[in-house]
Amino acid sequence: MISKFINKHRKPLTWALYAALAVVVLLFLADQLAGKKLARIVQTTISGVLVGGVYSLIALGIVVINKASGVFNFAHGWMMVVGAMVFWSFFTVAEISVVGAALLSSATMLMIMSAVSVKSLREPRNLLITAAGIAIWTLLMTVGGIELRWLHALAGTVAGAILTGLAVERFTIRPLIGQPLFTMVLMTLAIAEVLHGVTQIAWGTVELNLPIFVDPATNSKFKVIRLDAFRDALDGIAIVRVELVIAFVLALIAFIGFILFFRYTSVGLAMRATSEDQQLAQSVGLRVRVILAITWAVAAILASIAGVLQGGAVGLSLNINFVALRVFPAVLLGGLESIGGALVGGIIIGIVEQFGTLINSSEQVGTDLAPYVVLMLVLVLRPDGLFGEKRIERI
Amino acid sequence: MANIYPAGVFDTEYKQDMLIDRTPRDKLWKNLAFVALLLVPLLSVSGPLGLGLISDQYVSLIGRISIFVIAVQGLNILVGYTGQISLGHAAFMAIGAYASAILARELGFTFWTALPVSALLTGLIGLLFGLPSLRVKGFYLAMATLAAQFIIPWVLRYPLEDVTGGTRPLSVPAPMIGPFVAYAEDEVGEEATIAFEAGETYIVDVITLEIVDSSGALPAFELRSPAGAVVPAGDINMTVHKDADGRLSGFSFIATKAGDYQVALITEEETGAFRARIRRSKALSFASDVAMYYIIVPLAVLMMFLARNITRTRVGRAFISVRDNDLAAELLGINVFAYKLQAFFLSAVYAGVAGCLLAFERNSLSLDMFRLDVSIEMLAMLIIGGAGFPLGAMFGVTFIRFLQEAAIPTLRPWLSDILPQLLPFVEAVNITSAINPILFGGALIIFLVLEPRGIAHRWEILKVAWKIRPYSY
Repeated sequence: MISKFINKHRKPLTWALYAALAVVVLLFLADQLAGKKLARIVQTTISGVLVGGVYSLIALGIVVINKASGVFNFAHGWMMVVGAMVFWSFFTVAEISVVGAALLSSATMLMIMSAVSVKSLREPRNLLITAAGIAIWTLLMTVGGIELRWLHALAGTVAGAILTGLAVERFTIRPLIGQPLFTMVLMTLAIAEVLHGVTQIAWGTVELNLPIFVDPATNSKFKVIRLDAFRDALDGIAIVRVELVIAFVLALIAFIGFILFFRYTSVGLAMRATSEDQQLAQSVGLRVRVILAITWAVAAILASIAGVLQGGAVGLSLNINFVALRVFPAVLLGGLESIGGALVGGIIIGIVEQFGTLINSSEQVGTDLAPYVVLMLVLVLRPDGLFGEKRIERI
Repeated sequence: MANIYPAGVFDTEYKQDMLIDRTPRDKLWKNLAFVALLLVPLLSVSGPLGLGLISDQYVSLIGRISIFVIAVQGLNILVGYTGQISLGHAAFMAIGAYASAILARELGFTFWTALPVSALLTGLIGLLFGLPSLRVKGFYLAMATLAAQFIIPWVLRYPLEDVTGGTRPLSVPAPMIGPFVAYAEDEVGEEATIAFEAGETYIVDVITLEIVDSSGALPAFELRSPAGAVVPAGDINMTVHKDADGRLSGFSFIATKAGDYQVALITEEETGAFRARIRRSKALSFASDVAMYYIIVPLAVLMMFLARNITRTRVGRAFISVRDNDLAAELLGINVFAYKLQAFFLSAVYAGVAGCLLAFERNSLSLDMFRLDVSIEMLAMLIIGGAGFPLGAMFGVTFIRFLQEAAIPTLRPWLSDILPQLLPFVEAVNITSAINPILFGGALIIFLVLEPRGIAHRWEILKVAWKIRPYSY
């Protein structure tokens, strides 16, 4: 009787349920925020959006890999850590050892040149390209003194990220092509553990100082922006951290850049084609294996950028991998296949996190609870996310 | 589940296929292995026979392995047989551990009653987090359990801080049987001196408590050693028991020295006299590793047997059909959602039992013991051992634990010597704690690539090769 009724009016009932849930959430929020000043709420919203920018970048990396190879990358957080730590090493160490830089660049060049097959390294022309690449890359990493450290750090980070991405793809993902999803999930978890161990050995668990966001005038940390102009309207002064603004803008630029890359470059188009249908892409002459490798390298670069921004804005330690765990809800919220969804989801999770912290700062509601509650809600109410594709299954 | 039998073994009946012991020799070997396992503590250094053939370290190691075998066997029911991914198994263990610890500390439960209650509670919470499996599966379900892995410890850490102690470690009393020897009854006034033997566990019960000229406050017990000093509760593993109304009903402790302990009823007010009849009685305590071994190992064997048995029933076959193809299973008339929930319940019950045992074995709990890494480690153990094999959990946990025990002490000094020389930025301090994730992450990668069916599969092949020797398989 009841089930008949439910089945008959499924759609309006579902929407009624959503509406009731929304009302409950809004009432709860109104109750919690009743005592807070408007300035605090505005400030929380702004910093939520700003924090969410970096989250979107992280989500984009996960979405890119998921679209291309159908693997949800649980190791993305540790890729962030690796990228940020490599950046830190090149950025803060005054004397960069030529041997170390040469080792890193040769490993990267060898991985790149052998992406098609190891045999292609035998050709003299490819060997020459490899040698030239190593030389140029090493030069970029070591040339000049401390004044060129941005160049060193960028070259080093890109090399490290490409090496990580390609190595992960080559040695762990490629042997598993065609295996069930469960195996893939476990493999990315295993990669996460190995990267965890490696980064911990190399850089330790202490929080490191990554001074990338410094005021060039005073050579110290930025002062916060105080929104004095809106003082009367907001009943107080809202504060915005400059580091977050810069990180947000850079993240947005990177995000737009990668969207343009996917839309207009031939490699990006090939990646999208591969993600649509691997067999079809293969039949029109795309090298699916190479494109998968490129995807992982691109995702690792995205992770590194996000890691550096996060490390510079919030603080650099192994803990920034937890940020990626908070981004998983953002990815699901936006939809696993949707690049635009990554942006929306990231910003929503950023806002949720900041409001959680505003409501209860002592119990880490914002970072440890709220994103996962959102995750559960998304899974139960709308598993495909806001912009994701509906999944249809056949036996 | 793929069973491998040597050439020439033919099943003519379904019953044969379902047998646990296919031949009398199988049964003999299994029983012998169980007896040998039970003999391990007797041969150890601190065992009653004093033979000293096996180092004590291995007794506690096998105990800990057995606890994780139970937990991973639960994961095996969910992952190996039903095909649902769970990244939140450590959180379910945390519920079992904290529930039993709180039951024992606050509500006066003994270990024996706390074990089933906490297991059941964990099972119910497992059901709750299994609910998303109605709508999502595969990777999405992994996400739901990942949420469990964060939400459950948060709930234990903050809202329940009063009983769980939050981030601080929580002490847990040792399990005991008894009191089975009623020793003596004594009438005490405000203070009494009673003789105790060293090394024994005593339970002191308040039979009647008469409060003369009461100021309303209830008295507490205090214990003074033969030397006269007040004994801190932690030194002698003292636990205070309360009755249902929250009133003091007694306490238990292990006498560290023989002699006359002073039992005092203390109150904050000076006025008021107490008159109580107390009974002191001996109990059998399971505080030592050897004693815990005899709780844990038989329980682990029993749980393994039950898990094996489940797969022989209608429920188990339904689990396997859900794993192999849930849509096809639904078409066959199997209620997929109900069976998924059952699998979640069973798996969480196993986790609860393991958590409870862990709490009572360690005598101390902290939330750090149940992080996401532990969940991943248990999944890794299951895959390495062989998901969907009855012995998979045992092989996996044993392999990883022995790898850690054997490889870390040998690798550590070697790596600490060499790595900092090769790479200038490496600090030797960090190597110790970082070997573990590399080790089992690496082992998992190797197994996933080279032998995704795990050690149990190799073991089956080995058994067959042995049975049909000298012919190759």
